[in-house]
Amino acid sequence: MAVNLQKGQRVTLDNSMKLALVGLGWQTNQYDGVDFDLDASAFLLGANGKCMRDEDFIFYGNLSSRNNAVVHQGDEVKGGDGNSDDEQIIIDFTKIPPEVEKIAVCVSIYDAENNHQNFGQVSSAYIRVAKLAGEFDTVGEDQIRFDLAEEFSIETALVICEIYRHNGEWKFNAVAQGYQGGLATIVRNYGLQC
Amino acid sequence: MAINLQKGQRVSLDDSLQMALVGLGWDVNQFETGGSYDLDASAFMLGANDKLIVDSDFVFYNNLSARNGAVVHKGDNLTGEGEGDDEVIIINFNKIPDEIQKIAICVTIHDPTNRLTFGQVSNAFVRVAKVSSEFDLVGEDQLRFDLGEEFSIETALLVCEIYRYNGAWKFSAVGAGYSGGLQALVDKYQ
Repeated sequence: MAVNLQKGQRVTLDNSMKLALVGLGWQTNQYDGVDFDLDASAFLLGANGKCMRDEDFIFYGNLSSRNNAVVHQGDEVKGGDGNSDDEQIIIDFTKIPPEVEKIAVCVSIYDAENNHQNFGQVSSAYIRVAKLAGEFDTVGEDQIRFDLAEEFSIETALVICEIYRHNGEWKFNAVAQGYQGGLATIVRNYGLQC
Repeated sequence: MAINLQKGQRVSLDDSLQMALVGLGWDVNQFETGGSYDLDASAFMLGANDKLIVDSDFVFYNNLSARNGAVVHKGDNLTGEGEGDDEVIIINFNKIPDEIQKIAICVTIHDPTNRLTFGQVSNAFVRVAKVSSEFDLVGEDQLRFDLGEEFSIETALLVCEIYRYNGAWKFSAVGAGYSGGLQALVDKYQ
């Protein structure tokens, strides 16, 4: 049963998830202007909360992590109808390297600053995190879902949630922290150069 | 104590707001060859599919009041003279039909010779003020959105949207320009 979240809410969720799907959907630009290119990404973080190597940052330029623990299904550049996923990332918890303590899931708008875009302008944009029953399940059961345009406005990059180890189990926090300055800001916050 | 919004920003309206004055203003750059310019405010009451349900929900200089008086246009200012608001639209939240999900507020250039565009219009703004009656033309400012200088050949602007979300009214500072004037917006919403 999906929890429709508001910014700032923290939820502890089902920790029996072995396989999770991060789904991102949005509508093509309903106003005049350049299409919105939203990008889902994930960071594999160590105990210090930082990304230990470039390959642990999964995004349109690096689609799968070591061991295929986290796999991005490909970049969508314009959006669709806002009712179904335009980008997806699959996380297999059984394959996450032991030194990874946390996975941060993020969404950003590509080239937002040049295009004068922000999340407040994107129609029907959502991100969901679903529990998958197995590798052939492409829909999953929603655990959390955010309506991005209503919960964020002038931001251009968001850390949506962090999935982290605690006492041998995976737990879930809906962080919902927005940043201006695009994906680069988040990349630097996690200790990588860009 | 009004808040100033930037493009893309969305805010909740005060839930005690029963009647709002939407004031629109602009300046036409004085480099033009004299004469005055006619810019027109309009409002579209839209259903869940972002379209007009009945034609009379399109409020503009030739249809000054929507059904039930939910949205009332205070009249066409033909020259843009004067400080402050150039045109005013009053929204009566209690009278908005339940099927209406959004009110789109627009400004368009009425120029049969196609000389003027929003590239030549500056200081365009919209303000939303709380008023207690339709005779209060000042009200208590809640928010303001200054549209800035980013337009060039556009002749129609979707300034803002006032819409329902989770049972409350919100304001979205849109500021999107279109070419094709008022007709482009009518086509979008019909």
